Amino acid sequence: MEKIITLNDVTKEFKVLNRKEGLRGSIKDLFSRDYNIVRAVCNISMEVSRGEIVGYLGPNGAGKSTTIKMMTGVLEPTSGEILVNGMVPYIKRTQNAQNIGVVFGQRSQLWWALPVIESFNILKDIYQVSDRNYSDMMELYTSLVDIEDILHKPVRQLSLGQRTLSDILAAFLHNPSTVFLDEPTIGLDVSMKGKIRKLVKALNKEKNTTVILTTHDMGDVDALCRRIVIIDKGSLLYDNDIENLKGFFGSYRTVKVRLGREAEELTKENLKRLANELQQKLLDTHPEVNSLTAISNESWIDVLVHEDEIDIMKVVNSIQEHYKIYDLKLEEISTESVIRKIYEGEMQ
Amino acid sequence: MNKKGLRFYMRIYKKILAQDLKSKLSYRADFVISSIGMIFTNISAFITLWILFQNFPTVMGWNYHEMLFLYGFSLIALTPVQCFFDNNWSLRYYVFSGDFIKYCFRPINIFFYYISEVFDIKGVGQFLFGIGTLIYSWQKLEMGMSVLIFIKLIFALVTASLFMVALMNVAAATCFWLMGTGYIMVTAFKFKDYAKYPITIFNTVFRFVFTFIIPIAFIAYYPSLVFLRPDEIPILTWISPLIGVLFFYISYKIWMKGAISYDGTGS
Repeated sequence: MEKIITLNDVTKEFKVLNRKEGLRGSIKDLFSRDYNIVRAVCNISMEVSRGEIVGYLGPNGAGKSTTIKMMTGVLEPTSGEILVNGMVPYIKRTQNAQNIGVVFGQRSQLWWALPVIESFNILKDIYQVSDRNYSDMMELYTSLVDIEDILHKPVRQLSLGQRTLSDILAAFLHNPSTVFLDEPTIGLDVSMKGKIRKLVKALNKEKNTTVILTTHDMGDVDALCRRIVIIDKGSLLYDNDIENLKGFFGSYRTVKVRLGREAEELTKENLKRLANELQQKLLDTHPEVNSLTAISNESWIDVLVHEDEIDIMKVVNSIQEHYKIYDLKLEEISTESVIRKIYEGEMQ
Repeated sequence: MNKKGLRFYMRIYKKILAQDLKSKLSYRADFVISSIGMIFTNISAFITLWILFQNFPTVMGWNYHEMLFLYGFSLIALTPVQCFFDNNWSLRYYVFSGDFIKYCFRPINIFFYYISEVFDIKGVGQFLFGIGTLIYSWQKLEMGMSVLIFIKLIFALVTASLFMVALMNVAAATCFWLMGTGYIMVTAFKFKDYAKYPITIFNTVFRFVFTFIIPIAFIAYYPSLVFLRPDEIPILTWISPLIGVLFFYISYKIWMKGAISYDGTGS
C-alpha cells in the first residue's frame, strides 16, 4: 500500500513562560527567563496509507491539534520526522498545501462576504484546477448533496451546517491526496451530522482520498473509521482496528434499562440522578465488583458490566430489587464506552 | 513560490477584488455614510490649514499653497494603504482568536492571501479629494506640467505610499509577538498626520526620527521637494525610491517571519 503520511518518532515541545500572579507578577514576567518546557506531542510514530479514514482521537489537550498542525506544515516538530506525500511539510509548506485539504469545524476558510460558488472559483485558480477537473468535481458534488440553494448565498448567511458542508466541499475541490477534518460535526444537528458523514464517506470512496478525522463524537467514528489512533498527554495509546479494540473489551457488556415511562420521569437531570443512585446501590450490594458504571443515555440508563467480575443476570436481579424495569436490552460495549475506558486509563 | 509568478497573483487578486466590490456595493448606505464622514474629516483639516495661513503668511518659508500641495500629495500617497492593506487592522483579532491559522493552509503566499481578502472602497473618496487639492495647488503655484514631470510625480507617489504601507505592515506584525497591539497601529497611523508638514518645522531630533526610524518624512516631504524646491533637492530625495522598496521589503519580511512562527491557539 502506498504510504501517504509517515510520522517517525515525532516530538513537539513548547516553551511556556512560568507566569506569576497579579500585576507585580506580570511586570516581573516581562523580564523573566523562567521557562517551562511542555511536551505537547511525545515520540509519536505512525503510517497512513492512501484511501484510509483514520479516526484520530484523544481527550481535550491530548495533542491532536498539534499533530495536525505539524502534518499540515504550520508547526515544525522539535524532533522526529514527518513526511506527507513524500515531502517535509514544514519546509515545503506551500507545495504540501497543494496536496492537502483542511477543515476546522468552527472556522470557515471561505471568503465571508462572497457566495460559495465564487469562493470555489477563486480556489480553482489558487490550486490551478483545470476546467475539466473542476466541472467533474462539481458534477460529483451535485450528485452527492443538494447544493443548489447554498451555492449562490454569501457564506456569512449560511447556517453552521451549510457552512461546514461548503468547507468540506472546498477542501476536496482540488482533489488532494489527504484531507484533515478537525471536529467537522461539532455543534451540528443529527440530520446534518448524517449528511456530512455520508458525504465524507462518498468522497473518500470516489476519490480514494485519505482522511484524518479528529472528533469527540463516536457517531462519526462508527460511521467512518475502521482504524483509530488514540493519543493522550502527547503519547500514542492505541493504533489499530476498531473491532480489535472492542475485542479487547469483549468481556464487557452493557445492560440498558428503562426505569420510567412518562416523559417527566425521564428528564435529563432525573435520569442522571437515577443513574448515580443505581450505580451506588449496585456497588453496595456487590462489594466484589469494582468496574461497574451506570450512565444515563437518552431515555435509557446504561450499566456497563465486566462479566468476569459478575454475572449479567445477577446485576439485572439487583436492579429489579430496587426499581421497576419497564424495558431491557443487552448490548456489546459501544465505541463510546471503549474510548472512555481508554481515556480513563484502562489500557495500561 | 517560484512557479507562481506575478501573473498568477494578479489574476487571483482581480477575481477577489471584483467579487468583493460586488458584495460591498450592495451595502449602499454604509458606503455613502462612510464617504460623507471621510469628506468631513478632510474638510476640517483643510479649514485648519486655511485658518493658520490667514494669520501667518508662511511657516518656515512654506506658503499656503505649498502646504496644500503637501497635504494633497500625502492624501494620494495614503490611498494604497487604505484601500489595499486595510486588513492589517484586523490582523491582531485573527491572531488572538486563532483564526489566523486558516491563512496557513493555502498553497500561496500568506501575506498576499491575507491582504487580498479586504479591499476598502472608502479610500477612493480620499483619493479624489487628494487629487483635487493637488491640482488646485499645482495651478496656484504655477508649476507647469510635462510628461517628464508627470512621470516623476507618479514615481514620487508610489515611493511615498510604499513607506506608509511598510510602516503599517510593521505596526500590524507586532501582534505576532505582543498582545494588545491596537495602540501601536493607532500610533503608527497617527504619524501620517505629521507627514503633511515639511520636516524643516521640526527640531533636529524629530527630523532624524521621522527620516530614518519612522520614515514618514518620505510620505510627502522628500518626494515633494522635486516639484516645490527643484533647485535644492537633497540626496535623500533621489534615493528615496530605493529606500522605499527596501523598507517595504523589510516590513514584508518581518510580517512573514511573524506569520511563519505563528502556532495558533488550541481548538
